[in-house]
Amino acid sequence: MAVTTCLMSVESQAHSASDAYLTLTVQNPAAAGAAARTIVHGQWDIALRDLDFVLKLDDNGDGKIVWGELRKHQKSVSEFAYGQILFFGDGQACRIEPTRQAVDFHADGAYAALFFDAECDGATKRLTVDYKLFFRIDPSHRGIFVLRSGDKVATAVLSPANAKIDVGL
Amino acid sequence: MAPTGIAAQSTAGGIAPAPPYKAPYTPTADDAVLQDVPSASDPTVRQMRSLRGELDADAGSVVKAQRLAQAYIDYGRQIGDAHYAGYAEAVLAPWLLRASPPVAVSVEYATILQYRHQFAESRRELKRALDADPHNTQAWLTLATLDMVQGDYDTASRDCSQLATNGGYILDIACSGNLRSYIGQAQQSLQLLTQIDAQAQALPAAFRSWLQGLLAESAERLGDWAQAEAHYRKALALTPEDNFLLVAYADFLLDRARPAEVLTLLANSSQSDTAFLRLALAKAALQSPDLPLYTWIMGARFAALTQRGSDYFGREQVRFALYLQHDPQTALDMAKRNWEVQRAPWDARVFLEAAAAARQPRAAAPVLAFLQKTKLQDPVIESVARQIKAGLKSPVVAR
Repeated sequence: MAVTTCLMSVESQAHSASDAYLTLTVQNPAAAGAAARTIVHGQWDIALRDLDFVLKLDDNGDGKIVWGELRKHQKSVSEFAYGQILFFGDGQACRIEPTRQAVDFHADGAYAALFFDAECDGATKRLTVDYKLFFRIDPSHRGIFVLRSGDKVATAVLSPANAKIDVGL
Repeated sequence: MAPTGIAAQSTAGGIAPAPPYKAPYTPTADDAVLQDVPSASDPTVRQMRSLRGELDADAGSVVKAQRLAQAYIDYGRQIGDAHYAGYAEAVLAPWLLRASPPVAVSVEYATILQYRHQFAESRRELKRALDADPHNTQAWLTLATLDMVQGDYDTASRDCSQLATNGGYILDIACSGNLRSYIGQAQQSLQLLTQIDAQAQALPAAFRSWLQGLLAESAERLGDWAQAEAHYRKALALTPEDNFLLVAYADFLLDRARPAEVLTLLANSSQSDTAFLRLALAKAALQSPDLPLYTWIMGARFAALTQRGSDYFGREQVRFALYLQHDPQTALDMAKRNWEVQRAPWDARVFLEAAAAARQPRAAAPVLAFLQKTKLQDPVIESVARQIKAGLKSPVVAR
């Protein structure tokens, strides 16, 4: 009999899908030095479950990612993640300077917290974020985006259909 | 196990623990456990990796893509993790972009959409598959499941009969046997399912487990708790880690006032949100000191769903609002929205319970009409329905 795999009842859906959290804070222009450049501080939380699927962080295969394993893979996490995002200030590419990595928790588990600065030339008026994290392997991934600039807060949900966004600073 | 990386940070025994998350930090010990992930020693995980390798080596093979996608879908269901539906979708994506995807790809994609409760989209995909191949049994079965969960039993009955024509005796009986449990014929349902169970001994464990789950459900419809429990246990003996079954059995135990057993049953399932809700409900029933922590985490998980743009509020969120947040009005509003999408017995039940708690018996009219029309049997639902009807007669609460 051919059909035996897919017989299950419809299950309630409320299980976590893949999310990452990208939080940006625009540095006060005065502190950046006469607006010769614009610096955006970033914290990017990426689920260890997702990173494990792509990078195989669980070296000993025991079903648990320990800090020692994540620490050893920090370089590959960094190389992978920063290849999945681009920033543009008024259309000009910004440089991404990774600063450090830590561990963060969200309601569904542990995340690698990647801290970085995006440095854009000039007094940026419009920041463009081009995001493609995990979309190729999981189109249901979403990037929860928050940007703070002075008193302003902008939010967005990054998805394959909304992968490139413009924000006025 | 408590939620990974969280329990250690909670305040033991406090009435209202602080949110269990601290600022990003650098662990001090290399052996600090951060996250449970699928273990490479799990045969299913190895199988998925091997299927992935086969597809990578032959990227144009639709057969290999389907096999991998199916493995992801099955595993995601087993552990109650939506990530795998996304992985499966990505594997099928090259074919889904075509004007006419292969039928089997459409059917698999429909399963993914159904899993995400995108029922209209799932239906569209199944119609497309059946237009191309009217004899596709998997498509008819998936459509029957969809019609049942949405409470359209006449259409489901026709879908089941298509299985008799195209798929064979066992699937047809399983389908119509399941259907009968929703239309006041739970006794016949039990008989039919028992009959095919006897003939299914040589079939895969997943199939027999599915039958046992259906038998448990039918026994529950009749209020035969001992028989229901026996079937749940048989099902779990066949597929011990099936998230759907674990959660259904946990609901059974919660209803029987056996919350301590829920904690044991779901000890390794806290990453599944559906399982986590039952853990929290068990904590509530036990008046456990860490209930606020569980409620907080559950709320944060639902908030994350909302934040990512999911507009689906299902029966789990109704129960969360009603029994953990003690907010009957929110629960009732969610139950009404859920009822537009799903009409399985549990959807009817949470709607009635929310209406009763909110003292708005009239709000439950659509459910009462549905119960009358379908003749659904269920002692728990019948009891709440009676309570609601009594409320309708009472001028004090009816409004």
